Amino acid sequence: MSVLRIEDLCTHYFLGEDRVQAVDKITFDIAESEIFGLAGESGCGKTTAAYSIMRILPENGAIVNGQIFLDGDDVVEKTDEEMRQLRWRKVSIVFQYAMNAFNPVLRIGNQIVEVMQEKQSIDKEEATKRVKELFDEVGLEPERIRDYPHEFSGGMRQRAIIAQALAAEPRLIIADEPVTALDVIVQNKILGLLRSLQKKYKLAVLLITHDLSVVAENSDRVGIMYAGKLVEVGSTVNVFKRSLHPYTYKLIGAFPSVKGPKRRLEFIPGTPPDLVRPPSGCRFHPRCPWAQEICNLEVPEYREYEKKHWVACHFAGEINFEVES
Amino acid sequence: MSEKKAVGTRQYIATRVAQTIVVWFGIITLNFFIFRIMPGDPRGTLIAEHMPPEVIQAIAIRFGLDQPIATQFVLYIVNLFRGDLGESFSHYGQPVIETIFAFRFWNTVILMGTSILIALIVAIIMGVIAASRRDRAIDVGSTTVFLVAYSMPVFWLGLMILYYFGFILRVIPLAGTITRGIVHVNIFHYVADYLWHMTGPLVVLTLSFIGGFYLIMRDSVLDIFTQDYILAARAKGLKERAILFGHAMRNAMLPMVSVIAVNMPFLISGATITETVFSWSGLGLLTYNSVVANDWPVLQGIFLFLATVAVLSNFVADILYLYLDPRIRY
Ligand SMILES: Nc1ncnc2c1ncn2[C@@H]1O[C@H](COP(=O)(O)OP(=O)(O)OP(=O)(O)O)[C@@H](O)[C@H]1O
Ligand SMILES: [Mg+2]
Repeated sequence: MSVLRIEDLCTHYFLGEDRVQAVDKITFDIAESEIFGLAGESGCGKTTAAYSIMRILPENGAIVNGQIFLDGDDVVEKTDEEMRQLRWRKVSIVFQYAMNAFNPVLRIGNQIVEVMQEKQSIDKEEATKRVKELFDEVGLEPERIRDYPHEFSGGMRQRAIIAQALAAEPRLIIADEPVTALDVIVQNKILGLLRSLQKKYKLAVLLITHDLSVVAENSDRVGIMYAGKLVEVGSTVNVFKRSLHPYTYKLIGAFPSVKGPKRRLEFIPGTPPDLVRPPSGCRFHPRCPWAQEICNLEVPEYREYEKKHWVACHFAGEINFEVES
Repeated sequence: MSEKKAVGTRQYIATRVAQTIVVWFGIITLNFFIFRIMPGDPRGTLIAEHMPPEVIQAIAIRFGLDQPIATQFVLYIVNLFRGDLGESFSHYGQPVIETIFAFRFWNTVILMGTSILIALIVAIIMGVIAASRRDRAIDVGSTTVFLVAYSMPVFWLGLMILYYFGFILRVIPLAGTITRGIVHVNIFHYVADYLWHMTGPLVVLTLSFIGGFYLIMRDSVLDIFTQDYILAARAKGLKERAILFGHAMRNAMLPMVSVIAVNMPFLISGATITETVFSWSGLGLLTYNSVVANDWPVLQGIFLFLATVAVLSNFVADILYLYLDPRIRY
């Protein structure tokens, strides 16, 4: 059974009369011991999807449709108190702005002990011992649990945050841009750490990033989002090497690749759409070089084009990406 | 690492102590000149006509009133450190230090301390709760109540309470700190009588303080709610109480410390009206009476005292910050 299964999730923000369709009918799942990379341009709804899973949306945001199953349990149906108890026990999150995720006036160790004691029946001494072990595991000196957040460097804080995410032995970790604020060397170390812990604890990981190279190197499967829609989902190899959606193809082309074969750097003309009044039909059609009339008229169905390779494009498999029309 | 930090902190405290002393000296110097450049005979600041000639003689010699201003200043400082601020005009032959500190100081400290403490506790708790229930009944309700209390003139509130509860209902005494003419059987009887007399001024002062504290706290908590670590605490599935009082409250209290420190002298002088209305024999009432009676030596003493409180409370606030906010290390 999947650790996480999302079906037809729609999450909208309400701004006066307007409605921002930040996540619109997305469906995907993550299995045990699997890293699922979720990628897409800034503002396409990645964080919104993550916050929906944890149900920590801002006041003007709401899940308006769909289901989110954690270990087969629909979290959308849960009461606030049930949801509170579920958090960190089933699913924990490493925030996009993780640097500020610790309270500046409390010792880091105490903050992790606090959540451990809330989530497990464990006394303070034992919890402190566990935190020291976790610190050791993520590559921090155990004595430093007495430090305050500002005494840690960015990389160290990120390690502490990963230790904290493991504190209540969750099944799923959501990592929202876990390394964006760090320099490349530290990035690779942190991602390596995340991967090894994920293997060791058989964790499901939702790895959110706008950096395609991070996705390509670290995930088993990939989902590509565009303007609140999931446009393509498949194994990392399939999505990168045999892209079915024009947006995926263009997005990959827009990223310089150090290792891969040389390809001319592409650029996607136009700007991401306004999510209050998204384009009709396929949301990508105004920017798609291969768009036809139907793309403007009909929303493409999200379908399994080939085994375990899903796509939402009217012309999936029919386009020769080398030739622009 | 923490060794170095401790040294830095000690150095910082030493610097602040030195600064505080310098500022305090500035203030006592100012105090000296302000009262001496006022129009009229400079002798008038320390000598009253109705004093017996030998007392006038003694004071003139002690403070060098016939000598050049520089000598007078030196004598003023020397006498200050001896605790000699001259003699009160209106309390016959009583040294100023005694007039201020014998009991009035304590009456004010007890009244002010209790009302500030109660106001703070209520304001902090209600501020946190109101912020967490923003725009809901409890928030709108408490904000309205505290704003009304805040904007009510203190003398009017005091008179109302005195009139209804003291005069009509007779549940609180009309004046003073203890019942005159009765013999207290033991210390508890005395304390009970004292507290009973304190009820009226305590309620008035607490109500007048609470509004300001509450608004600052509520605002500060709302600001803290936008911080990432609060979202993180929610994501961690902590109990609401733990988030509010364990994570939001302490951070939100930081601005309170400086607000209270800066306002300390105003809080004390603000008690003047309340003390006068209830005839509570504290520094406020003393100020009022001294102004009415042109009691210059006492007024100088009170001025000095308030200035010292201002300097000291700012110093204490800085030290408190050191311990409340671990990011501050010098
Ligand atoms: N509280 C809110 N109210 C209204 N609109 C919002 C709110 N939060 C986000 N949005 C909008 O919802 C859309 C999706 O935002 P989201 O933060 O999920 O994007 P993202 O993919 O995480 O972007 P990034 O890579 O920049 O983090 C954006 O267009 C954003 O402007
Ligand atoms: Mg985001």
